[in-house]
Amino acid sequence: MTPVMFWLGIGIVLFVLGLHGVLLARQAIRRIIAINIMGSGVFLVMVALAARGEARDPVLHALVVTGLVVAVSATAFALRLATAAQAGDKKASEPKA
Amino acid sequence: MTYALISLLIPLLTALVLLLTGSRRGVWVILASALSLVAAAFALLSVMGSGTQYLALGGWEAPLGIRFHLQPVAALLLVFTALIHLLVAVYAERSSHSQTRDTDYWPLSSLLHASLAALWLSNDLFNWYVTLELLGLVAVALVTLSGRKAYGAALRYLLLSLVGSLCYLLGVALLYGRYGVLDVTLLAELTVADATTQMALLLMTLGLMVKGALWPMHLWLPPAHAGAPTSVSALLSALVVKGPIFILWVLWAKVAPPELAVSAGWLMAVAGVIALISAGWSAIRTPYIKVLVAYSTVAQLGYALLALGLLLYWQEPELEVALWLFIIAHGLAKVSMFLAAGEMQATIGTKRVAGLKGATETMPVAMFAFAVAGGSLIGLPPSGGFVAKWILLLPLFAEPAHWPWALGVLVGTLVSAAYVFRVVALAFDRADPVRPDFVPDRFAQWLALLPALLVWGMALISQPLIQWLTGVSG
Amino acid sequence: MARFVAGAAGMGHGVDQSAAHSMADGGERMNLGWTSILPVLIVLSSLIPGLLIFTLREERIRTRTALNLFGVVLKLALVGLMLFGVSQGMVFHFELPFLPFAPLILQGDALSLQFVSLSSVLWLATTVYAIGYLEGAKLRSRFFGYFSLCVSATVGLALAGNLVTFLLFYELLTLATFPLVVHRGTPEALRAGRIYLAFTMGGGVLALMGVAVLHTIAGSPEFVEGGYLSGFIQDFSPALMLAFVLLITGLGVKAALVPLHGWLPQAMVAPAPVSALLHAVAVVKAGAFGIVRVVYDVFGVGTMQAMNLHLPLLWLAALTIVYGSVKALQQQDIKKRLAYSTVSQVSYITLGVALMGPLAAVGALVHLVHQGLMKVTLFFAAGNFAESLHVHRIDEMNGIGKRMPLTMAAFTVGALGMMGAPPIAGFISKLYLGQGALQVNQAWVIGVLMLSGMLNAAYFLPILYRGWFMSPPTEWPKDTKLGGGAPGWRETHWMLLLPVLFTAALSILVGVLAGTDLSPLNWAQLIVNREFDL
Repeated sequence: MTPVMFWLGIGIVLFVLGLHGVLLARQAIRRIIAINIMGSGVFLVMVALAARGEARDPVLHALVVTGLVVAVSATAFALRLATAAQAGDKKASEPKA
Repeated sequence: MTYALISLLIPLLTALVLLLTGSRRGVWVILASALSLVAAAFALLSVMGSGTQYLALGGWEAPLGIRFHLQPVAALLLVFTALIHLLVAVYAERSSHSQTRDTDYWPLSSLLHASLAALWLSNDLFNWYVTLELLGLVAVALVTLSGRKAYGAALRYLLLSLVGSLCYLLGVALLYGRYGVLDVTLLAELTVADATTQMALLLMTLGLMVKGALWPMHLWLPPAHAGAPTSVSALLSALVVKGPIFILWVLWAKVAPPELAVSAGWLMAVAGVIALISAGWSAIRTPYIKVLVAYSTVAQLGYALLALGLLLYWQEPELEVALWLFIIAHGLAKVSMFLAAGEMQATIGTKRVAGLKGATETMPVAMFAFAVAGGSLIGLPPSGGFVAKWILLLPLFAEPAHWPWALGVLVGTLVSAAYVFRVVALAFDRADPVRPDFVPDRFAQWLALLPALLVWGMALISQPLIQWLTGVSG
Repeated sequence: MARFVAGAAGMGHGVDQSAAHSMADGGERMNLGWTSILPVLIVLSSLIPGLLIFTLREERIRTRTALNLFGVVLKLALVGLMLFGVSQGMVFHFELPFLPFAPLILQGDALSLQFVSLSSVLWLATTVYAIGYLEGAKLRSRFFGYFSLCVSATVGLALAGNLVTFLLFYELLTLATFPLVVHRGTPEALRAGRIYLAFTMGGGVLALMGVAVLHTIAGSPEFVEGGYLSGFIQDFSPALMLAFVLLITGLGVKAALVPLHGWLPQAMVAPAPVSALLHAVAVVKAGAFGIVRVVYDVFGVGTMQAMNLHLPLLWLAALTIVYGSVKALQQQDIKKRLAYSTVSQVSYITLGVALMGPLAAVGALVHLVHQGLMKVTLFFAAGNFAESLHVHRIDEMNGIGKRMPLTMAAFTVGALGMMGAPPIAGFISKLYLGQGALQVNQAWVIGVLMLSGMLNAAYFLPILYRGWFMSPPTEWPKDTKLGGGAPGWRETHWMLLLPVLFTAALSILVGVLAGTDLSPLNWAQLIVNREFDL
């Protein structure tokens, strides 16, 4: 097993674990963490793939950096929304849309 | 190409200016949408004249750089996006029941417009990831505008949307790892039907189906679209869910190897039929007006999925015509329906379908708009919905082996008729009309009627439109 | 898989290349002379007043009435002009590009004029009647608006030049009549409206499928005498069969063929002018007219016989005739009895068409007009009884002929005509249908006609007996809105009375003058000569 395959495998495992968590967890905060684990898995796969050739692939690195930025801002937004939703749940109990 | 870029940049700049200056005046957005519409129209004209165009951003050529790609369908969708944004912006500014005047709606909707335009113009897999993510975040932010009660639905939407994006991104990574390019045109020449490609396409499709609320990944849509302010619901249903479908189409019709596309097409077509029936059934059952309209979106996306699926299954590029006609007809009809539903809901002061009793007397124009838009969703001639259905039906009858698919269209039509007329029939009930709480807003009602009339007016240009779309497809 | 642009594929088989070509560039070919504008004007003459009426406020009675009558008179004049033109051999043709190989075509041929003339004349009677009937009622602008739209859709459907255009107006007719059926807004009306929609929407989508199937085979060329499908029997037999079943089912809903008739008796809750519209002027007739078109001008006599499609249709029509009459006999409510009578009588048209002989065809086409005149008379009369004296049931009609002699006389004319008594219009239809059956050696049909005639007598004669010969109740209700009129005037409001007398007189006239040049019979003969190439 090459190192690339090893890291690829780890990435996929993380992704699947995260997906499992998102689908099964009920608390918002757990689901957000699970999504971040999924994201780490994807980035790991990308970094591993970047190392597959002789030279490091700069395109994939650029993609990971962009992806990280997106992931961080999405997480921040999700966290804010989750806390606000919880506060709302406590105040008025009408979660129905 | 420059015109297309202008059509993208105008809303983007408007969003930035509004954010920086802190102004929340809708006039600017209306103006920007109108200008963007004009630019998009010029872009369409130039595509009609000289065909598909490319623009390498920043002067970097593919495969390293990112290039925009103005294909005929994209130009049409640019016009469509700007038109819908213009209509909704006028509503959001002028309606006395608009919950979005002087709010963050304005920069956000401009941003939405820009991300959609970028999506139509993009031609590489990663660019789509960014636009999709942007679209998702902005859409969620728009949903939260209706306040605390929508936070739950918005959060669910956000989480699922993020899961969808990550699935898509993993697929992109696998494809890039396998072929080493992201540009769609280059990729299309390389793909072969191996396990990695299959896995990547599967992941991307799942992600896109979640984002596009395609059955069975649609469960987040009804609460989110129904809970949002009226103008936001209209934008989300008419435009946002169409983005993922566009990418799905490019992915499967252009990039995927045909042998994979055939089996995926069969699955999509089946999912489309099930969506028509099951979401239609939910629309018949729900007690809430806007939830009904939202479920109708899921059901109508079933038509698009059916058209896309059969296109792939039979490898008939001409079915694209049906797909785009469905997308445009549904978009116009749905804007009208959401605006009408929102107006009635706000004026009569109830969220329940039962509250619309007697609405033909109290709010005739809004009810009429609802019915006219519904007629297009059902596919009554000569509306745009009918034209799309007609184009879809013809190949179904071309060979006896295809006939069973027509049953799906038949049932879909009847189910749509059932949920539209459920509301319309109630509106004729004179036993005990529910009186409006406020004075009905005449302007807003007529505005809601406008897109419905446009979708019926598509009949006037249907022949050249079909011929043009047939010419550019395949 | 080059099958997709199916119209083109079908065209490739080469029956109608020139027509296909001219349709493809129909836009450029559009001729804007008055002969092409006239069919459009005939549709617009009710559509535009209808749309204007929607915008009128409730209390603007005069403007509304004026608009209505203006539309009616204009339409009659235009139809008269077209009648004259067609009899002189002129061609009226309007074309608008719509779908590839399926433009929208409005045209005036002999068959469409038969239906257009009927609808326009009856629209006049019904409009006057409705103005009187709804005096003081609420929501009249809405009512008359949809009423005009309904007539526009009917006229458009009659003038439709190909199947796609026909389908378009067929669906618009459904949409325009629905608000009229539920006009009263009561739970029963809404229930009837839902049933009506369920049936007609289902029928509409089946008809759409049928049209699409035919389009994939042959495109959507213009209706042509003798049909345009004879060249496709060999290669497309199952598809043609499917299309026929779909189309007849879809049209059969509006034509109230058993078992698709369920909506018609339910729709009786609508106001009397609407019933007249449903039964005589527009909806049921649209279905029957559609069947005539499909059999003669799409499939054509030759194709029908080659594929043996006419026999099942014939049996279905015969069954409907008997079934409707038996059900009518069981009804005690006047309007319900009339409704089932319509189920039975309209199928005479289908019967005559399905017999596939020239004489029977004349019977069918003339019955299209005759049944309309007689049935509208019956419904007007029933409406008069209900509005003037609150009489809804047959056992309440004792001696009503003494209180409302004129209305009762009109009712008698209609009822005797339905039974087939000479010299009223119905006699002519039955005569030709019977002879037509003999002509094509289907003598059993005579038995059906006689049985139906006897059943007609069984359900109409008791009403006439009660009305004329039994003693009236000691006192008629006085609190009715329309019972009075001027002092000394004992009948009912003149606007309700005039139309019923008018249509009753017409029913007799078209029977008596059947031999003359201007009669519906003569016109039917003209159409049949062309269809059967005599």
